[in-house]
Amino acid sequence: MGAAVKPGPGQMGETVLDLQRLLTMANQIGDFFAPYPPERRAEGIRNHLRTYWDPRMRQDLLDYIASGGDGLVPQVLEGARLLVETEHDKKGYYGPPKA
Amino acid sequence: MWAELRDLRDGVDLGTPPRDGSDVTLTIDGVSVTVPAGSSVMLAAARAGHAIPKLCASDTLEPFGSCRVCLVEVEGRKGYPASCTTLVEPGMAVRTESEKLAALRRGVMELYLSDFPAEDIPGGWSEFHETLQRLGVTSHPYGTGENHQASPVDQSNPYFLFDPAKCIVCSRCIRACEEIQGTFALTIDGRGFESKVAAGQDQPFFDSECVSCGACVQTCPTQALVEKSLFEGEYRHAQSIEA
Amino acid sequence: MPNPLKPERSVVTTCAYCGVGCGFKAETRAGRIVRMIPWKEGKANHGHSCIKGRFAYDYYNHPDRVRTPLIRRSIDEPWQEVDWDTALNHAAAEFRRIQSTYGTKSIGAVSSSRCTNEEIFLVQKLARAVFGNNNIDNCARICHSPTQFGLSATVGWGAASQHFDSILQADVIMVVGANPTEGHPVFGSLMKRRIRQGAKLIVIDPRRTETVKSAHCEATVHLPLRPGNNVAILNSLGHVIVRERLYNESFVRERCEWNEFELWMGLVGSDRYAPEVIGPVAGVAPEAIRAAARLYAGGPNSAIYYGLGVTEHSQGSTGVMCLGNLSLSCGMLGREGVGVNPLRGQGNVQGGSCLGSWPHVFSGYRFVTDPEVRGSFEQEWGVPLDAEPGLRLPNMFDAALTGHFRGMYIMGEDPVQSDPNRHHIVEAMRQMECVVLQDLFLNETSNYAHVFLPGSSSLEKEGTFTSAERRVNRVRKVVEPLAGYQDWEIVVRLMNTMGYPAQYAHAGEILDELARLSPAYKGLSFALLERIGSAQWPCDENAPEGTEVLHTKTFPRANGRGTFMLTEFVPTAERTNDRFPLLLTTGRILSQYNVGTQTRRTANSRWHPEDRLEINAADAQARGLRDGDWVTVTSRFGQTRLRAKLSTRVNPGIVYTTFHHATSKANAVTSDLSDWATNCPEYKVTAVEVARVDAAPMRAQAEAREDEVVEAVS
Repeated sequence: MGAAVKPGPGQMGETVLDLQRLLTMANQIGDFFAPYPPERRAEGIRNHLRTYWDPRMRQDLLDYIASGGDGLVPQVLEGARLLVETEHDKKGYYGPPKA
Repeated sequence: MWAELRDLRDGVDLGTPPRDGSDVTLTIDGVSVTVPAGSSVMLAAARAGHAIPKLCASDTLEPFGSCRVCLVEVEGRKGYPASCTTLVEPGMAVRTESEKLAALRRGVMELYLSDFPAEDIPGGWSEFHETLQRLGVTSHPYGTGENHQASPVDQSNPYFLFDPAKCIVCSRCIRACEEIQGTFALTIDGRGFESKVAAGQDQPFFDSECVSCGACVQTCPTQALVEKSLFEGEYRHAQSIEA
Repeated sequence: MPNPLKPERSVVTTCAYCGVGCGFKAETRAGRIVRMIPWKEGKANHGHSCIKGRFAYDYYNHPDRVRTPLIRRSIDEPWQEVDWDTALNHAAAEFRRIQSTYGTKSIGAVSSSRCTNEEIFLVQKLARAVFGNNNIDNCARICHSPTQFGLSATVGWGAASQHFDSILQADVIMVVGANPTEGHPVFGSLMKRRIRQGAKLIVIDPRRTETVKSAHCEATVHLPLRPGNNVAILNSLGHVIVRERLYNESFVRERCEWNEFELWMGLVGSDRYAPEVIGPVAGVAPEAIRAAARLYAGGPNSAIYYGLGVTEHSQGSTGVMCLGNLSLSCGMLGREGVGVNPLRGQGNVQGGSCLGSWPHVFSGYRFVTDPEVRGSFEQEWGVPLDAEPGLRLPNMFDAALTGHFRGMYIMGEDPVQSDPNRHHIVEAMRQMECVVLQDLFLNETSNYAHVFLPGSSSLEKEGTFTSAERRVNRVRKVVEPLAGYQDWEIVVRLMNTMGYPAQYAHAGEILDELARLSPAYKGLSFALLERIGSAQWPCDENAPEGTEVLHTKTFPRANGRGTFMLTEFVPTAERTNDRFPLLLTTGRILSQYNVGTQTRRTANSRWHPEDRLEINAADAQARGLRDGDWVTVTSRFGQTRLRAKLSTRVNPGIVYTTFHHATSKANAVTSDLSDWATNCPEYKVTAVEVARVDAAPMRAQAEAREDEVVEAVS
């Protein structure tokens, strides 16, 4: 599961962050948006990932989801799906979370 | 709003806190001046360019009226009221200089001087020294009587010292600790001649509730409370209190 | 020498300690600073001061100051003194080598809230325009990043809504997770002045702080909650406001998004946030929660002041949103005497926030993902810029451990001492191939650095700070930089050495550039500050001398309305259990400042020579502890040793310490949990166990370590 192990000198791990840490961060975001109605929930998570996460972290999350996504709360999966679906439509992604 | 804070100016001491209020016009030595209601005569005089000598007053503290230096004459009133505690009234006519006032002020300053370290009278630059210079007082007619000149210097605080020999018990330090800082660490201990500034339960400053904000040092008119960094080498008094 | 020596010269400047931003006249004699006099025209201090700004300035001239650049090939080698060109060439060559081997994104930069606005702006330019990535962050990440996030989400701007003097019109003052009389003393004095005039005080804090009770100042209501329950308690206040209909309906209808208000009412109004439910969980009497809510809603003017006790939690941003929600619901924004105000720990946290030392926003809080905004920076800087957010400070360390991040430029920060989960940080630092540290003193982080660039203190440079009340104050050079250069000059030289042609004749030109690129700072210049002393942003054509109170007519959001966020309480994953039954939380003390780099090098240490662990007598007794005993504090993440102080300030189950001394290693025990939105570390909640250790060897060890530190820096 990812790159919890330190790479040797000159080597780089598979993911930018330790995967467990990345998943914890994703689930925390999911927990915040949980009380919102489903559509806004997914949008909120997508916007957050798009605006605040290094793109390599986003890609690592998407790769993990593609390989099964175990342990992620359902709304993170919804947000990630929306992130992929609207990848080329970047307008309106940025900014603080919209209520 | 907040005139008492926002109308303070660097290098200017109006003597009592600026106020917010409707205009009141009066004359100071014949000069007409308009100040907000609630202002003191002392402040009006400073605004009129006729600053009145004073020791226990400062525009960062509420007026106290203890030093008896800021006396004035008010037309139609008996006596010589303290200008710091006298509020302005419309049409009031105030005199800040007269022979009688000069004599009264000189007398008070001579009394202060009689219990002040003789070697520190020349060459000083404190408010007290500036007032002496302004009033032309350089000596006093009194012999050596009972005094506070042998009191130990409190050097317990690493940053400032307190030399009771220079203290005129004007209470500015105590009021600064209460009104500005809000710590209430200083009091006047004892009565009459025995009264002196004390930290906490008459403790060294360092051991008291003092938080070393420096407000007392900042307001002390005589440099009885003074930054140690302004001295090279040891402070002169033999007897002192350490932390 | 009977009378004191009279200073010869004085320069008006701004204190670099806490975020109050006091004005001082620095007085010199024979080229040395002999006195700091509080400036009567300082808009935050009006001639008042505290022990730090007034007296603790001598660190600037301390023998420990590094005066020559240092380099070394590996961190196991001793430092070598070199000239500036050699040091800068080495740093530049290493950064370029790392980037060509591991990619553009393999290096990054960190600036500090002790830097001036101009320096913070330049460091973001270094990362974005010279490194070519957005790996730029600052220490606000670990203190007030949730403020920017939470307040901008609700009221539009992540900044204090008021000026400090506004508190003199408050009828109710609510202090949450802050201890102003210790942390922000000059503001604390102003607050106490207002309380003596009759204002009511609500304190929400696990500890019976000095703010809760002192001479002539006592809280009307104190909610001593268990650490980690802020959101629960604040939602419960909301519950009372909603259920008892204490909210200001006309304000919400006129100024806010009503639909969102209804959604919020649905959340906090639900039974699960009733004081009778939350009280027992949070360790607070339900009636006290009700009393606090009624008092706050009743005003008529209620003002909130909060600190790191709100932000440094895994729900830090949510906690800040709760404060935004509460103030909007009761209409406590947009006039004097009300508002929501973060108390910032360092002199320029607000400036650090404003001026783009974030991986996702440029200066002026404008997003790197916004092509229009990016275009304006590309035009000004003449290079293409990265369109994607970079790594945050904690993520840089995370990425160092996976080999993706190899080099770091750090200005004025000591992450090894100040960042959480020390073992993790040290491991990460060891993985890096080039760490360039620019600072006054060698510190814990310099043990892992390859290049040390000796910086200048705030007494040695020109620039501006933005205080916690959004006030931009001038910082002026009082004495010459000890190592020859002002910090901004060093950054410019590094940029040049890396091949980027930046040039400024003086710091004022940097302010001009950042004013062009940051809307709220548009009207600022050295000339304006020379004329009017200071100005609160926004300062532009609509407010040429700045803005004291925000949100008077609209909120700076797209539709001009304030909004409500759904702030569900999510308990932290950091829980007590049989092994770690106590909750450790942290705070500050008056005489020391943060990690103590400056204040520990002054006589201030006489008041606070060591950090102590405050523990309730009941917990102490259960562990056989007496006052002054050495104890181990052990968490899931590590262990440290402190001396115990029996105290009634903390309730049973809670222990508390300050974190000013390197030897205390408070961060050896703090967790790796962080805020969901910003990764601000959860410093305020760590489950620990405390045990007595044999005193003598501990003391010897601590002393040996103290010697080591002294040796390392001398």
